[in-house]
Amino acid sequence: MIHLSMDLEKTKTFLLEILKMNAEPKSLDWLALQKEKIGEDTSYMKFYLAFGMASRYFKKNLMDLSETKIQKAKTLVEGFSPESWDQLQTARSYLLLHFGIADASAWVDAINKLFETADMHEQQSLYAALPLMPFREEMVERAVEGLRTNIASVFDAIALDNPYPSQYMEERAWNQMVLKAVFMQRPLYRIQGADKRANPTLAKILVDFAHERWAAGRKVMPELWRFVGPYLDIQNFGDIEKVIHSSDPLEKNAALLACHQSGFVPANSLLKQFPKVQREIQQGELTWEKIGREFENLSRPQ
Amino acid sequence: MYIDPHIHVTSRTTDDYEAMRKAGIVAIIEPAFWLGQPRTEVGSFKDYFSSLVGWERFRAKQFGIVHYCTMGLNSKEANNVPLAEEVMELLPLFVGKEGVVAIGEIGYDDQTPAEDRFYRLQLELAKEVNLPVLIHTPHRDKRKGTTKSMDVSEEHGLDPRMVIVDHNNEETAKEVLDRGYWAGFTIYPHTKMGSERMVEIVRQYGPERIIVDSAADWGVSDPLAVPKTAALMRKMGIPEEHIRLVCYQNALTAYAQSGQMEEMDWLKPDPIDQRQRQFGNSVLRGGQSPKVEGEASDIVEN
Repeated sequence: MIHLSMDLEKTKTFLLEILKMNAEPKSLDWLALQKEKIGEDTSYMKFYLAFGMASRYFKKNLMDLSETKIQKAKTLVEGFSPESWDQLQTARSYLLLHFGIADASAWVDAINKLFETADMHEQQSLYAALPLMPFREEMVERAVEGLRTNIASVFDAIALDNPYPSQYMEERAWNQMVLKAVFMQRPLYRIQGADKRANPTLAKILVDFAHERWAAGRKVMPELWRFVGPYLDIQNFGDIEKVIHSSDPLEKNAALLACHQSGFVPANSLLKQFPKVQREIQQGELTWEKIGREFENLSRPQ
Repeated sequence: MYIDPHIHVTSRTTDDYEAMRKAGIVAIIEPAFWLGQPRTEVGSFKDYFSSLVGWERFRAKQFGIVHYCTMGLNSKEANNVPLAEEVMELLPLFVGKEGVVAIGEIGYDDQTPAEDRFYRLQLELAKEVNLPVLIHTPHRDKRKGTTKSMDVSEEHGLDPRMVIVDHNNEETAKEVLDRGYWAGFTIYPHTKMGSERMVEIVRQYGPERIIVDSAADWGVSDPLAVPKTAALMRKMGIPEEHIRLVCYQNALTAYAQSGQMEEMDWLKPDPIDQRQRQFGNSVLRGGQSPKVEGEASDIVEN
């Protein structure tokens, strides 16, 4: 795993820049005042209170960012995606970066206390800000604990649009996260580093999960096969054949895309029997993102 | 549309939530209270408070109900003084959270000196953070306890308009209303008000500053007490506008003074909701979608 460095000062400046383009001047004045207060306070209380009170000054509207800013974010921290953030969590993250304790264990204790008393949106903000935190390695246990939530928005803050899990979590925790995302039917295409962190253990767990669903007469989300594709073998090939012959075009395309990812010869031969789909894959028209988005549209309540 | 401004939904099932939504309840307030038996550790309070701004809020949202809460140390548990002191240190971390609409429910149970001490401390806290206060009036020696609650509140300089005195009955109603307080009436079988008596109260006093609630909890109680009482009032010829005031608007007006509750919260969906829905169904787990409508059936959904 590559753990990337981050320039704290540049990130602070960037967050303030994008907030200025989105929030009200009086909210920004309040934020500037809190920044000063946090700097002077040794009891952490000012920081905790400002973090909570931010909801009175910033809206939960999604950040409106130019393409330039979206790209700039990724040069600061790989995978950083503030375009999926709202104004309030951006302001909270800005405050968090000003909570400057040099000692790692004191910092972690203080932040853990904040996690333990956080409301729903505060939890979201904290988990989504993991990749910006000064002591990222030390927060792995907290992130794993966070994934145990049943609150979808909190789970999403860790698992989706967040570079942290693929960069910091060991295989067991990563696999649990992906499995739970499948179980909760989250959009898997928004998990960063998905292909890079695919592994045979995960493929096996997901195939077992698919069997369990089928035995119960339930369907399996098409994106699941993304994590199985690279590990197709004699044992699970029957499953992929079954999906390819399903009546659901989205599942069928997903299974064929999985065959495309595979080095297993029978999978390649099977894909050749569907030249139209194969062409779409080769031309980049049929991708996991496309399948994921279409699946989301289908499952959206009317 | 109804608001139940006093209900301990933590103790209720999802069937209750479904029925409440179906009966027209759009928003609820869950006052921090005891669990039916005393807590022995401050950590139990911390986890309870955080569930009120976390998990329970999420749970309610699944059924289209907006969940708010009040924070406070209840009078029964104020009698464990060392523990109560620890809880007082914890409260500042929670009173500023989003959706915390009052300090409460606080007041007297046995009317002991310890209860008096922590009641006063919390009145001061409410003043400091500019939140309304929800007073729990005692079950025993009610009339005296109610009068004392108001006397002490005035001694601490609170404006009666910022104070909701709950669990009133025929004996306390006049004084509470005459002194300018909001008067809550709890429709709770056997121990508090019945809905027929409630109709007579509204007939006698009119709708001004009267608030109907259920206080449904882990005991034999009714989460539909507010809509049922409204229906009875309608049948008994109480004007529609009076029903709207006592079963919806008055609670909103009283608690909106916190700056944490407004009609738009349920009339106009939160941008966060839209973003979550965009991810597919707003799952609790494994792709369930809570149903609000539907016929009774012996089939448990797969």
